[in-house]
Amino acid sequence: MSALITITILALLLLYLGLFKAKKALLPVALIGLMVALVLSLMEWDSNAAPIFSNMMLYDRFAVAFSGITIFLTILIIALSKDYFERISSNVAEYYALILFSLAGIILMVSYHNLSMLFIGIEIMSVSLYILAGIKKRDFASNEAALKYFLMGAFSTGILLFGVTLIYGASGSFDLEGIKQYILKDPTAVSPLLYTGITLLIVGLSFKVGAAPFHFWVPDVYEGSPSLISAYMSTVVKVAGFAAFLRLIMFSFAPLQDFWIPMIIGMSVLSLLIGNVTAVYQQHFKRMLAYSSISHVGYMLFAIIALNGSSDNAVFVYAAAYSVATIIAFGVLILLQGQVGNDSFDSFNGLARKNPFLALTLTIAMLSLAGIPLTAGFIGKFMMFSKALSSYHIFLVVFAALNAMIGIFYYFKVIVAMYFKEEDRKELIVPVYFKLVLGFSALVTIALGVYPDFIASLI
Amino acid sequence: MEVQSLPVDYLPILFQMLVALGFVVLTMTITHLIGPKRKTADKLSPFEAGIEVVGNARTPVSIKYFLVAILFVLFDIEVIFMYPWAVNFREFGVEGLIEMFIFMATLLLGYIYVIKKKAIEWGD
Repeated sequence: MSALITITILALLLLYLGLFKAKKALLPVALIGLMVALVLSLMEWDSNAAPIFSNMMLYDRFAVAFSGITIFLTILIIALSKDYFERISSNVAEYYALILFSLAGIILMVSYHNLSMLFIGIEIMSVSLYILAGIKKRDFASNEAALKYFLMGAFSTGILLFGVTLIYGASGSFDLEGIKQYILKDPTAVSPLLYTGITLLIVGLSFKVGAAPFHFWVPDVYEGSPSLISAYMSTVVKVAGFAAFLRLIMFSFAPLQDFWIPMIIGMSVLSLLIGNVTAVYQQHFKRMLAYSSISHVGYMLFAIIALNGSSDNAVFVYAAAYSVATIIAFGVLILLQGQVGNDSFDSFNGLARKNPFLALTLTIAMLSLAGIPLTAGFIGKFMMFSKALSSYHIFLVVFAALNAMIGIFYYFKVIVAMYFKEEDRKELIVPVYFKLVLGFSALVTIALGVYPDFIASLI
Repeated sequence: MEVQSLPVDYLPILFQMLVALGFVVLTMTITHLIGPKRKTADKLSPFEAGIEVVGNARTPVSIKYFLVAILFVLFDIEVIFMYPWAVNFREFGVEGLIEMFIFMATLLLGYIYVIKKKAIEWGD
């Protein structure tokens, strides 16, 4: 819980640092503060945690693990922000503060024990993100992204809230434990209101994680937002959305599996199909990443389909692998956009000769996203597929494996462009912070791929 | 703890809705039917505070109006939290007092920020 307080105070502190013109201190203070928050949250590792604040929150292992990974990913992303926000406008402190406020919302989302806390967490996160998506005020794409994200987000929050209301109507409780007890009392004779409520909740949360058929905002918003913010949205926010989703279903709705599993299977299949097939046709790297993030949601939904005690582990590993690789991809993208001004696949031509380090890290990231062995992505996919197989969803796994092959095709486009297409180009300048983050992320990707036990049985 | 409620218990709500809707429909129809109708050009023109309308309605308005409006809402809402606290002041005791002070301090920080950012300064 101290992590949440630390992050909130840190955000306020950064606002005031901005007021008193201490621009140089912003980045170091943000990084140090986040590291403190990370340590504080890991210190609350406790297997028999009890709900706190009148049963509003439960900081159990699940919450610690997921708030740990979200804070860790935020550190990586903020480290990439050196000199990034300065190019957009002079209100740099506000951007950092907004990112941290949304992180505070995310901590609530992964540790709620009451549906009202889930709602508040999602709102704190989303409202900050609506602003962040539109911080390039003079850029039409950024404006479009902010508006689209806001409208879609507002609708989905409305749907989510409607679901919460119906569940309260049926069970008489906002508390996860209370809802669970209500369902367990007689799983065959629950009120029909509850079924509607569950459906609406799933729809609302799927909007937030961008699962098909609720994915329409994803490509435009990711493409239009500033790349650093897209990186934040497609990693930290997605992980948080999934954690919230999983927590809700694991805690409360597990006894009603027969009702919601067909829905989740449908969403998973659609996400895989739409994400992968559409990504093949993309000419731009950023848009390709947006569609690939939709397809990765499809894989992550496997853990919910084959729900059991280790689902949280599978999602954790997959989310970590996916996020770290995506951060590398967006890091290279930021450099490319800043210095070449274009992110089509052709602009990667010949990168390996001039920037071997960048090309190597990006290759590792692409291999990991594609799920090639010895990278973290493979372990993530392996865990997901074996979970789905253990609950006898054989056709689903075959379908997903086919989709993974399509994935290899478009991820390798980038590698082919970098290594096998010649072009005269200038060397990209890679700042030290970028070198650190990219190198570290690449190392993490390989380390997880070679020795997954390290986090695979954590929660 | 479960209180069973039957559909019939919601009948008063239905009545309430019918009465509310009926009142609106009734008064609107009746005034329409029995009221005198004298239409002049002046009465049909849009009108604000007695001043004649000039130009198009879609003129840009200074962002400062919106800023002040939003800030007003922000600091106005805060008072809502004071009421329940004041009502339960004794039950909350010292702990409640401290919590309220934290809440007010956060708002005060926001207020100082707003002033420092010159968000409510109109001089330029």
